[in-house]
Amino acid sequence: MKRLFAVALGILTAIGGFLDIGDIVTNAVVGSRFGMSLAWVVVVGVIGICVFAQMSGRVAAVSGRATFEIIRERLGPRAASANLAASFLINVMTLTAEVGGIALALQLVSSVSYLLWVPFAAGAVWLVIWRVRFSIMENVTGLIGLTLVGFAVALFLLGPSWSELAQQVMQQGLPGTEKATTYWFYAVALFGAAMTPYEVFFFSSGAVEEGWTAEDLTQSRVNVLVGFPLGGVLSLAIAACGAVVLLPQSIQVTTLSQVMLPVAEAGGKVLLAVIILGVVAATFGAALETTLSSGYTLAQFNGWSWGKFHRPTEAARFHLTMIICLIVGLGVLLTGMDPIKITELSVVFSAIALPLTYLPILVVANDPEYMGEQVNGAVTNAAGVFYLIVILVASLAAVPLLIITKAGS
Amino acid sequence: MNLPHPPDTAAVTGRLIDARLHLLDRQVLDRAALPVTTVDDISLSDVPAGPLPHASPSPTITALLSGAFRFTRIFGGRPPMSRLDRISWSDLAEIGTAIRLRAARDTLQVGWLERWVARHVIGKIPGGRHDPE
Repeated sequence: MKRLFAVALGILTAIGGFLDIGDIVTNAVVGSRFGMSLAWVVVVGVIGICVFAQMSGRVAAVSGRATFEIIRERLGPRAASANLAASFLINVMTLTAEVGGIALALQLVSSVSYLLWVPFAAGAVWLVIWRVRFSIMENVTGLIGLTLVGFAVALFLLGPSWSELAQQVMQQGLPGTEKATTYWFYAVALFGAAMTPYEVFFFSSGAVEEGWTAEDLTQSRVNVLVGFPLGGVLSLAIAACGAVVLLPQSIQVTTLSQVMLPVAEAGGKVLLAVIILGVVAATFGAALETTLSSGYTLAQFNGWSWGKFHRPTEAARFHLTMIICLIVGLGVLLTGMDPIKITELSVVFSAIALPLTYLPILVVANDPEYMGEQVNGAVTNAAGVFYLIVILVASLAAVPLLIITKAGS
Repeated sequence: MNLPHPPDTAAVTGRLIDARLHLLDRQVLDRAALPVTTVDDISLSDVPAGPLPHASPSPTITALLSGAFRFTRIFGGRPPMSRLDRISWSDLAEIGTAIRLRAARDTLQVGWLERWVARHVIGKIPGGRHDPE
């Protein structure tokens, strides 16, 4: 019974934890501009994150070594420093977007400018990291984030023509005046949003935080393989809401309130309130994860002690790093830069940095010195290599597409 | 042609350690498995400058180094001797997927920066010395 409860809890938090501001905004933007014609990217991305999240979790559980220790060890100081610089920068960017997302969601319920909410949001994120137990932090934000199921409810209430949505999924024609380059730019962005590298840093470090051993692997595998795809279904529901309501009226999503428009139309104030709660929880959870990830990456690269299982003075530089990153994110947001724009850029840059994270994991998951009996099987390796090629193509295409399409405008 | 001699077979009957793969950039853990640092470089016993005298003894590893070395390993040059953070080879307990030490972290000179930040920054914030919840 206790075991069953743990599995259910793990799956539910994985669903809620899958979505962050990047997924919410990018899916809404894509739905409102391209209908469901990019749904395949979400499917490809979700399978990819499943393959690599469970691989990095297994490496951490079996060897006790988290992802960035391995990156440093395998790539050597030069390549790993470049990797660290890129990953760390993108992580802080994502962190900034998430804190901005919390503030934007709070603005929707309070009519107080998000700029006033930003210091409060950043402070709350720090306080939770400073004081709250790791498992509680993960479970609470994950479970409340589940209210994002409201997007699926909204879709049903809208009563769309399912055959038309299905047709959008199947036919790959471009709607209206959209160019093929813009389509592919958003394909890369959506892929980056689904496979954000911080999830892997967080997942592998979280495995060490929670003291996983090889015996916990089955449960972690179930969490990932059931929870993430269901999170992907919610992503698709957000895109479908956009496709049903925003696309016909050619409303382009540039603010969070436009993301909410279909929800308000379908379910009125009650559903809107439920979903805003979900957005706050999901972005708050992701802000915690990205803040911790910035500490994890830097500490693991340098061999500092890290983790919430130590008292803060025993992982001093880890905590100091997180405080500085939050202050930097706060500073960027207070300049008035649009958090939605930061979010859109962060998912594209995530796509660029993906190979840097995923290659070392694949290498070490095959090293018997680390993994003993638990090295990758043939199927996982085939999937891993296939995804590495996809990731590489997306990464190489990202910058040219970013320039050609002027960031999708 | 002056081909290198095949290695003395007696010398490689033990475990073969690849310095680049098994020592450099590895995580160092203390007696209680607390992270200490990453190995940034290795210190060898003196090798005389200029041509080596005949039958000179082979150098041995004296210490693992950490600190400013990562910059010199990338950009070249030598860090000042005052920046030396050394872990004596005699402190090593095991070389596995991490390098384990016999000593406790707080007794090692290499952890001074962590201790400074703990004492002067993180320890000053309320709750900083609390056990994890």
